[in-house]
Amino acid sequence: MRRFLATKVGKILSRLVLGGVGLGVGLVLVSLLREATLSTHQAIDPDSTIEVIVRARSHNAEDNQTLDEMVEAQLLTCRLEVTSDMVGPLRTEGDGQFRALFAPSMDQTNRRQFKGCVEDFVIDGVQIDVLSLAEPE
Amino acid sequence: MRIVAWLAGIGTLLAGLIYMVLSLNRWEWNRALFFAMIVLIAEVALATGLVLRKLSAIEYSQRHPPDPALRDILRASRPPSADRFAWLHEASNRTSVFITFLVGGGIILSGVAWVMDRVASKTTTPVGEQRLTRQLGSISYPRGGLVVDDVTVLAQDVPGADDAQIRKLLRRAGHA
Repeated sequence: MRRFLATKVGKILSRLVLGGVGLGVGLVLVSLLREATLSTHQAIDPDSTIEVIVRARSHNAEDNQTLDEMVEAQLLTCRLEVTSDMVGPLRTEGDGQFRALFAPSMDQTNRRQFKGCVEDFVIDGVQIDVLSLAEPE
Repeated sequence: MRIVAWLAGIGTLLAGLIYMVLSLNRWEWNRALFFAMIVLIAEVALATGLVLRKLSAIEYSQRHPPDPALRDILRASRPPSADRFAWLHEASNRTSVFITFLVGGGIILSGVAWVMDRVASKTTTPVGEQRLTRQLGSISYPRGGLVVDDVTVLAQDVPGADDAQIRKLLRRAGHA
């Protein structure tokens, strides 16, 4: 009887411990994800600028749409998610590489948000990788 | 074949979940939605498979009920369950048990310390710092410092202005 009770209590305890560990791991993961996706903005000099260099490729794109147009459209769409605007034209550097200037500069949260948007599935048939996103020297 | 299907379903679920979290972390919302959809599809497929397996097991057991006599023989011939912790009862006063508990306790304590370290490190997040900045703003020094301005210095010369607090401030600032 005593052994039966000990086994029963042991099973319940082990389930409780496992449940607690699972709950703790879940809470830590959710809090990490919350921290990673929460906006924390800092003050930015309004006269500052930031330069983005991207590499783009298209696959099964519409016939009348060029890669330049699609990259510019995606950059203009993504700048709506941050506080910066594109200043000057989109410069083509060949081999699918483009360069654009934005003002004012972006804080760390805006940089992550902008980079995530540019590399996301926004326009069908085009995939863009951000090579650099930094303030020009 | 069935095992391959189960493994493919579980692999799809786990991979979709991992990529969904990664996409959320990278602020790639459309990708995160896409992978979340994959996770949902895999989850529904696995749940459906589990329900169907359970139903078929019930159906099989109803069609082929076990022979009660054979079941009783099997139960009677079942060996007693092994007491895997017998060594703990017999050798509780030996050093080996002490070492086992020491090592086990060390592992548990290390785990607790790791969890505490992770929790403590989360108390200094950028969000927390911003909140602390707002809270400290109410008790921060006034802009321009504590030295009194000329107007306050001249205020003590006004006839009838005999304020003990102003005089105390002026003494501290070295003006009186």
